[in-house]
Amino acid sequence: MRLQSRSRPLGAVIVLVLVIIYLLPAGVLGSDVGNCLLCHKYPGLSRVDENAEMRLLYVNEEIFNNSVHGKVKCEGCHTDITKIPHEPVKPVDCLAVCHIIEPAEEQKFSHKSVEAFLEDSVHGKKDKNGNEKKYSEDMPTCKDCHDNPMFRPLAFVKKVRAGVAEDALGRCRVCHKKEEFIYRFYNHITTRLHKSRSPLNIAQSCARCHDDPKLVARHNLNTRAGFSYGDTYHGKAAKMLDETVPDCLDCHVPKGQSVHQMHGNDDPRATTHPENRGQICSSTDCHPGASVQFANYQVHSEFSKEKSPAVYWFTTFFYILTGGTLLPLMVIMFLDLLRRLFPNATFRRRK
Amino acid sequence: MKCLLTKLYIIAFMGLVAFFGILIWNLTFAHVIHEYHSRESDVPLHVNGEADKKEPRQQTFDKMILESEDRVKHYLGYRVLEEQRIEGHFHHIGFDVGPDNRSYCRSCHGDMPHDSVKDIRAFLNMHAFFVGCQTCHVKFKEDEITNVYKWYDRKTGEIVESPVNGAPPGTYNAKIIPFIRENGKIVRIDSEEKIQFANDYKAAEPDLSEGQKSKAKKLIHKIISKTPVTCEECHTKQKPTLPLAELGYPKTRIDSITSTEVVGMIKNYTQFHMPKMLNPGEATPPVSPPQQPEAPSVQH
Amino acid sequence: MSEKYPPIKTINGRKYFFRFNMNLRIQHIIFAASIIILVLTGMPLKFSGTPWAPYLYSMFGGIAIAPWVHKISGSIMLIVFVYHIYWCIKIFYNNHILRLKREGKRTIGSVTMAALKLPMIPNLKDAKDIIDLMKYLLYFTNKHPEGDEWTWKEKFDYWAPFWGCFIIGASGIIIWKKELFTQYIPGDLINFCLIAHSDEALLAALFLFIWHWYNVHFSTSVFPMGTVFLTGYLPEDLMIEEHYAHYVRVMKKEGLEDEIQPPHGGHSNPACNLTDEAKNLFSKSKNGSSNDSLQQGGSGI
Repeated sequence: MRLQSRSRPLGAVIVLVLVIIYLLPAGVLGSDVGNCLLCHKYPGLSRVDENAEMRLLYVNEEIFNNSVHGKVKCEGCHTDITKIPHEPVKPVDCLAVCHIIEPAEEQKFSHKSVEAFLEDSVHGKKDKNGNEKKYSEDMPTCKDCHDNPMFRPLAFVKKVRAGVAEDALGRCRVCHKKEEFIYRFYNHITTRLHKSRSPLNIAQSCARCHDDPKLVARHNLNTRAGFSYGDTYHGKAAKMLDETVPDCLDCHVPKGQSVHQMHGNDDPRATTHPENRGQICSSTDCHPGASVQFANYQVHSEFSKEKSPAVYWFTTFFYILTGGTLLPLMVIMFLDLLRRLFPNATFRRRK
Repeated sequence: MKCLLTKLYIIAFMGLVAFFGILIWNLTFAHVIHEYHSRESDVPLHVNGEADKKEPRQQTFDKMILESEDRVKHYLGYRVLEEQRIEGHFHHIGFDVGPDNRSYCRSCHGDMPHDSVKDIRAFLNMHAFFVGCQTCHVKFKEDEITNVYKWYDRKTGEIVESPVNGAPPGTYNAKIIPFIRENGKIVRIDSEEKIQFANDYKAAEPDLSEGQKSKAKKLIHKIISKTPVTCEECHTKQKPTLPLAELGYPKTRIDSITSTEVVGMIKNYTQFHMPKMLNPGEATPPVSPPQQPEAPSVQH
Repeated sequence: MSEKYPPIKTINGRKYFFRFNMNLRIQHIIFAASIIILVLTGMPLKFSGTPWAPYLYSMFGGIAIAPWVHKISGSIMLIVFVYHIYWCIKIFYNNHILRLKREGKRTIGSVTMAALKLPMIPNLKDAKDIIDLMKYLLYFTNKHPEGDEWTWKEKFDYWAPFWGCFIIGASGIIIWKKELFTQYIPGDLINFCLIAHSDEALLAALFLFIWHWYNVHFSTSVFPMGTVFLTGYLPEDLMIEEHYAHYVRVMKKEGLEDEIQPPHGGHSNPACNLTDEAKNLFSKSKNGSSNDSLQQGGSGI
């Protein structure tokens, strides 16, 4: 994978082997009503299934409780597990209506609406006319982009504990008595106040498909997107863990809309459609005042004769200039050293 | 002396210049040539690995969990969660455990050795994660019994202090191995000789005849008992097979292991839902059990 | 200039030859320091995929601060660059144009001729020196080219950063103020600016840190460190090696003709003279012919 983190803070190179952090107030453990963790807390709980695929049945409780699904009961998603040993189960349906109550409408919560967005997007399995797309099996489903999302509370100063501002929690406690509610609500809000995944993680997630040469070729894509993004300042800064640079979603999703609504360049609804492209960069948060032609900057240009010939020749010019200047100088240096090593040898002696 | 140093300096510097030359070549013309060739032969510039998808059987637990190449770091701001990435796996793993380098069973049987009894294979594999094979699959002769069990480090194979206290259950970097009495001495059951024998067999296997093979296998598996230690023999308050306290389990954990929760689950569901849990060897068709909403466990 | 800086200084019996005045030395130090910082803060981004990049980058404050360090030192570098051009023009005006004006010969032709005779302009002598140097390095001759006041190496070392500064500086400013510049130029040009900026910077960095540093610091004649960039005066030994023609001229001008030393290629190392002498003796006795070494030490026999 091209996009790898390139940030290793000098002081603290963090290697997490066995991570046990006690950042939760007691009593947060609420989702395991069925005591599934009695068994599923053991990391060795695993088997080879009938399709010869490995199944890891382990759930890391501490991490799960810090995920956005921490309050969802196991049975909320694994709906067809009713007995032990479990009978063969269906894959989890992310669009199921679960036991969580959505507070605004007090309805049962579901990710159902994502389905429509996704189906309508460039990643949908069907085209405009409702026909199955070619290679529709390549199109992503929920788990291709999402693992269990972790809370990512804002952490401007606090880098050790979960970015939790004690002061803020103290104010919550005045009215709200339930610690678990305070904690979860705080995390939910502060996670949503910024990117819920770092730009690098987003780019990596997209790159898993969009950098795969086979998929790129099969779907006739212009570029290995993650790769070419990684060559821009944005991508490089993302590798250095800059949180402020745009990732894939910032440019490819219309502001204020679901990230699942992504459209191809030829779709007039797409942000990257030639008609709309000029508006992407000049967003107030990014390059305010930038002109329409600013957006002509080729984010996904590659060093390739076919894809971007101008860039190719321009780069090649500099390669030749650099190599053509330095290599002869290296030769002179080498000969100079050699001359100094054997100062007295010579082919033609004077006199 | 100084002259020699000067000469050495010059030679070293010549090496450095050669290195610089190669460096500059790689930074400049190499790109152009590489691009040219890749275009000529129509090979993608950077082929990302997809090779491991081909032979799922070849994937071992190692490949999947212990030594997985596909790692991912989640940047959570206050913390970096680094873990293996498993295709299609939703829940986070969150820690690394090295492969068991000591067990000589593993090289043939793998890390998920239990497969035949579908209902409970995952349970058995879960135990195999921190219990050495010999612990359950060897029944000792009268004179061999020592009742000594110790933890060995997965990586080094050395006997280590108990890793239990404080660690989340089952996430140890160590496994339990029994000790036996041999010629009056108490030694660990997976002696170097046995490991060597198994390794030698593995190396020589392609050249052996069928008869030789089965003979060697017999020798290797000589100590294996037909009926393994059953669940109930450990998950019981009455003299469990494993000396849990000596293995470093604190009181609370022992209570939990031998609790009504676990024992009850085994006992209750033996009859209804885990017909083969206590007799994993038999392949009787499962009795269709009555529906049970969920494990009757107590919330802690 | 010459009033303030005597052409030859004698300290402890050793002669030192004037090269750079204080103004140039300060320009050089600021320029060099800013370039080192620019390279250190720029290369981790260019090579952001390498393992060393994040460590180096975090030494300059990571992604939050390092870009600003880069921009500030870039500005300093450009200020020095612009000042240097101004300084050059001023000197040219004072020393040449005013003189031509006084003499009433200020035409385009004469000004161009004067400009072409400026110290840093490459000339035929440089081409000849390069060929002679190649002959010397390939052992076809034992005669090191007799460099003038400014040799081709110095001119190269001057013009390469000059061109680099122009390219990198211009593209750097465009990238920095991209919102402003793309009001007038198409966005695609930013791609080219980025390529020019980083690739030219790589060229400049490698050129300076390998070639330039080798010539002024790491070559055995000057190792471990050349001091001329600090003192402005070059030791006689190096002067003979690199600028023999100029050396002879200065010595004659100062009336020190008797003290002129024979030329040498700088390839003699005083410490090695003993073995060289032994070699000379050996080859003499063997070949019966005198080994005409250019070694100074050897000539002492």
